Amino acid sequence: MKEKLKAFIFSELIYHEDPASFGDDADLLEAGLDSLGIMRLIMFAEKEFGVTLPDTEIEPDNVNSLNALEKWIRQAGAGQ
Amino acid sequence: MDTASRGGSVKKASPLLFNPADYFTFVLDQEIRSIGHPGGYCGFALELAEQPDLERLQQRLDLLVENFPIASALIEPQGKRYAWVPTGQRIMLECHQCQPGEQAQQIQLAILNRQESLPLTLHWISSGTGGTLLLNWNHPLLDARGVKIVLDFLASDRPESFKESPSLVEAKLAQWSFWKKCRLFVKAKLHNREVNSLDSSLPTQEEQGPQTLQLKVRNFSEEESRQIAKLAQQHTGVAGRTLYYLGCFMRAMEQVGPPVAKAGYCIPYAFNLRRQNAPTPVFGNHVGCLFARAARDQVQNRQGLFEHLLAQYKQVVRDELDLAYLPLMWLGQWLSPARYAKILRKQHSGGELSSLWFSDIGDLSWGKKGFLGSPVTGMSLLCWMTLPPGLALLVGQLDGRLTLSYNYLSPAVDETWLDAVIAQMDVELLVEA
Repeated sequence: MKEKLKAFIFSELIYHEDPASFGDDADLLEAGLDSLGIMRLIMFAEKEFGVTLPDTEIEPDNVNSLNALEKWIRQAGAGQ
Repeated sequence: MDTASRGGSVKKASPLLFNPADYFTFVLDQEIRSIGHPGGYCGFALELAEQPDLERLQQRLDLLVENFPIASALIEPQGKRYAWVPTGQRIMLECHQCQPGEQAQQIQLAILNRQESLPLTLHWISSGTGGTLLLNWNHPLLDARGVKIVLDFLASDRPESFKESPSLVEAKLAQWSFWKKCRLFVKAKLHNREVNSLDSSLPTQEEQGPQTLQLKVRNFSEEESRQIAKLAQQHTGVAGRTLYYLGCFMRAMEQVGPPVAKAGYCIPYAFNLRRQNAPTPVFGNHVGCLFARAARDQVQNRQGLFEHLLAQYKQVVRDELDLAYLPLMWLGQWLSPARYAKILRKQHSGGELSSLWFSDIGDLSWGKKGFLGSPVTGMSLLCWMTLPPGLALLVGQLDGRLTLSYNYLSPAVDETWLDAVIAQMDVELLVEA
């Protein structure tokens, strides 16, 4: 799941010289993920992993790293 | 003004056809010119605490034209389409000095209000020990994110790392099958029909007679900006900061009373295909178009409005309507500017679609290094727009401080009315639920 998220983020939303070196806990918001980008990421995740991510849970703690995103998506039912 | 000759030649290169988004902005540029205004020119003004090395800046401008000949190109028709034709002409840094009692902003506006033939000019406006660096550009040449990249190029220690790359709009279109493009095109047409069914309230009637571009800048402190970001997150979530500004503006306009009151509000805004922080592409427009829309009764309910705008945006992304405009823009390239402009601007009723022109360039910082070693202390953004609406709100955040640049046409937009809207916008942005 993380690899798919990472591929989408670095091909569509954020530029990074070496995405492979971008850590799973590194801050995506600091790396440049903006508000409209977050929404595109959420829509990608919903479609790709067949989950619904509630608006009320769209918080920095759920989107600020690849690990946080993966945890949030799994809590929403992905892979169950 | 102290300006060296605009002559001088660097080198020529082959014509570069407009990409679909360049043509989209060119059509609006032509609409602006059609009523005697300078065209779709925009300005990015950086306030610097000290004067940068102007000789070095000129060398960098020369390098810019050498590496990117489009920077001093002219627009010419090529068959049914249009292209940038490089001239090889140098871009000369223009130096201005504020006279006693004169504000840099007056000079910025004089530059934006003059008839310009070059697509990109750079100005140093000296004031006290520092001054303002103004980059003035014609929108078909590049979008606002590209301008930040040009400024980075001018100040970079590694200018060779900036390279041109193909149009992102065309790259995206090339990824899709013919049938996917058709499906998206139909979706965009249906969406357009829906967008055009809600008549837009406007800040001004269509006025005749000479107009000048004017600017009012509202700078928020770090503390205020933090408060606004916190409220935006409460109301529209971490994903909706742009929507928060749009909703607050709709409410401010509604509460003061729109000079042309219709069924609701429609604010188009750009969806940028560039990745954040990417150093390329430098030139060209790489955007699609989105719309924030709300009926007037929806605007009355503050929390309800933000929920509506967020749900609308989610639906647009879910239905791929953000991308659906790309095939539409691709086909638009074969329409004449006047015909395309009518489709872009006019609603079914014949009214103007856009209640306002809007852009959010997001967070910017030149860090401790500043611009060519000079600390960046402030920022403002300028742009021409069609009339109506005659008003554009350009948003940006510099080192955590929010700046709202209200560009408007005078006398078409009443200044007293706009002052009241700006005051109400402050309240809307900062008000607790």
